[in-house]
Amino acid sequence: MDMVSMGLLAAMGALATIAGTSEDLESDVGSQSNPNSQVQLAAQVGHTHRIYNKAISGEPPSNALYAALAAVTASVLMSDPYGMNAFFSIAVGALVAAVFNGILSMTSYMGRNTSQARFNQHVYLDVLRSHTTTIMAHAYITAFCVVAISYIMTAPWLPIQHPFPLPVIAFTWGIALGAIGSSTGDVHYGAEREFQQYPFGAGLNAANSGDIVTKAEAGLRSSIDNAWFCAKFGGPVTGLAFGLIVFLDNWRTTIFDPATQGWYAILTGILIVILLNVYNRILEIRSKKRYGPYPEYVGDIKA
Amino acid sequence: MSTFDASTLVYVLQIVIGGLLVGIGVHFVPVGGAPAAMAQATGVGTGTVQLATGSGLTGLISAGLMMSVTDNILLIVLSGAVGAMIMIDVTMLVGNWVYIYGVGVPPVAAKTDYDPITKDPQPPYISPGTVGHGVPTVSYVSGTIGGLMGGAGGSLIYYALMNINGVSGLSAFFAIGIFVVNAVIASYNIQGTIEGFHDPKFKRVPRAVQACFVATLIIGIFAVLIHGGA
Amino acid sequence: MSVAAGGGESKIDKTKLTMYGLGGGVLGIYLAHVLNMVTGTGYFSFLAGLGAIAAVLMGADAVRRVCAYGIGTGVPSIGMMAMGMGLVAAWFGLAVAGVAGPIIGIAIAMGFGYFVGMLANKIIKMNIPVMEEVLMSLGGAGAMVIIGLSVVISGQIGYQDMLNDVVFTGYIAIVFIAGALAILQPFNANLGPDETQDRTLVLAISTGALGMFAAGIGSLVTVGVGGAVLTMLIAAAIWLKAFLWFFKLVKRDSSGVVGTGLLPEGGL
Repeated sequence: MDMVSMGLLAAMGALATIAGTSEDLESDVGSQSNPNSQVQLAAQVGHTHRIYNKAISGEPPSNALYAALAAVTASVLMSDPYGMNAFFSIAVGALVAAVFNGILSMTSYMGRNTSQARFNQHVYLDVLRSHTTTIMAHAYITAFCVVAISYIMTAPWLPIQHPFPLPVIAFTWGIALGAIGSSTGDVHYGAEREFQQYPFGAGLNAANSGDIVTKAEAGLRSSIDNAWFCAKFGGPVTGLAFGLIVFLDNWRTTIFDPATQGWYAILTGILIVILLNVYNRILEIRSKKRYGPYPEYVGDIKA
Repeated sequence: MSTFDASTLVYVLQIVIGGLLVGIGVHFVPVGGAPAAMAQATGVGTGTVQLATGSGLTGLISAGLMMSVTDNILLIVLSGAVGAMIMIDVTMLVGNWVYIYGVGVPPVAAKTDYDPITKDPQPPYISPGTVGHGVPTVSYVSGTIGGLMGGAGGSLIYYALMNINGVSGLSAFFAIGIFVVNAVIASYNIQGTIEGFHDPKFKRVPRAVQACFVATLIIGIFAVLIHGGA
Repeated sequence: MSVAAGGGESKIDKTKLTMYGLGGGVLGIYLAHVLNMVTGTGYFSFLAGLGAIAAVLMGADAVRRVCAYGIGTGVPSIGMMAMGMGLVAAWFGLAVAGVAGPIIGIAIAMGFGYFVGMLANKIIKMNIPVMEEVLMSLGGAGAMVIIGLSVVISGQIGYQDMLNDVVFTGYIAIVFIAGALAILQPFNANLGPDETQDRTLVLAISTGALGMFAAGIGSLVTVGVGGAVLTMLIAAAIWLKAFLWFFKLVKRDSSGVVGTGLLPEGGL
């Protein structure tokens, strides 16, 4: 372990935190992934809306596309005949990824709303204009950070020499990031923001499915409002999740050289896993104690 | 074209074991699908394949790094397993933060009255009109096991392929390919959602074992014949 | 996905689409290979991209057919599985069969698809009648898209060249995922009760062109600037045409494409 490795590791963790946050907010502005099933349902149960409705084949594949595309573009620009500086190459790569993201988002919004014509769900072009750029901006940040992490892991002049080529490693991190984003931050959007008119402290009652909030404090709710809300909690914790994963996973192999101290790296990892399990148990006990059983519960089992 | 000898058979066997580990591991991963994203069902609020693939590939990154410095199979496979476990554990933990602090619901399982590990009563904590929410201890432990098996399986496939063709990019992508085939077959078996090993759906594992075994065997036989060029 | 809605009936028959997809895909891949070999340039790589677009059409229609049934895990999973099978089959074909590789690869991918579909129905007991046939089309389409986009990058079919250009550089990542999204996005983006086949297929042309463009970026290094720019220009032109066509169909099918406005009558 040397200072350079530790610094790079810290940089990777920080980049991952930013990537996680922007990934989650990107999916909140666009209403991607699982919570989108409620947006899709809303029109069918009579609540037409002005919320963005994009579904790009699940978050992991779509984020893998942005990351891989940005990485391919960056590695093309960095390679022999072009020889561009890594920083600018990654920036250009992320730009290309953002453009692809914009195209896919736009076609999703138009296609999905059009396929709900019988419920009178219109396609609003101003929603398209104002939101798509916001989505693209977030996707740009995500792609930039993921490719930067991958570059740190593969660059020939840096200490970590990962055997996978840059685009492959960016692809893998993209899949992981999408899986994390859709598992953590999206719940804040789906369970809380979409159903804010129902009391805090309960999951969505199945009877209320599709009854999403369509009005704002003034006028109609837009998806940018949703990103504003989720940026307070859902986004940052998603960032924390991805940051922790990138950091912890690489920390083990940074403090212990895998070539000579591989077993220590694995034991450290197992220790981390055990600690996480214990912490989750503490979290569960505390939450049950603090919130208590639901007053509506009528069964025989005592809390 | 590489020849088909005894060592190739061992590699096929490793790939099949890897595929089975992935297929069984998916059954341990607690996912509630779309309803869980609305705190309507126990488990992580995403698809089975998504989460399993995400954790398996994180493991693959660890295993790939390990394999570049050693050829000890145990180190490589365990490295992948630990990477996948860290990924899935952090994801479930942060998922619980969101459920507890963002939505205000305690983690609770619905398919069992008492948590088999902690003996905690579950039904009083289920909010009305839902079938549980969050990742309670039994699901968390189950998910950790799922990550272990998924990560180990993916790394084992990578290890076998890497020994045949020696090209990390190719082996990684074939491992990903075989991984997703098994993950999707397994997730069809549980119809997309499961709470963990206490879920009655878990009894369907034997079917997935059969299907994953045959599918991986066939794909594995073709995969081991792909050489890494001159 | 709880909202499994198959949409309207098919105007274009599936056999016809499969035939065009297979024929167009194989033709494009071989034309690119032969013309590049004969002329000794990389200018004809774009033909493989056109072949990939034909394959995407076939795959997108297969996704559309199977997703009319509730498959329990949403649209993306089935496509990722098809790409996984297609990838192994395609590279197997290329590795062992030389110039005949693409045909062998596609055939094996279709075999994998049929087989896994059978496992899903017989052992997992999904009981989806079209599963075998759809996975067969999807596997074949996946293999064809992978080979097509790989040939865009490598310029020809030789296995060693493809390894150097597609795998060692890592561009296999974009081949895999851009191909997957090209097949998945069309139906996924149009999902809903009023989905129509022509709109989905027009979107498939547009996403296929995006995949071709992405592979074109990779080919900047491998086949040279001339061929790569040609590929990208043709892809961009096809994309623009398909996008405008798609927008026209959106205006045709939608309940209203409005510049701005409040919710329509009956909305809350």
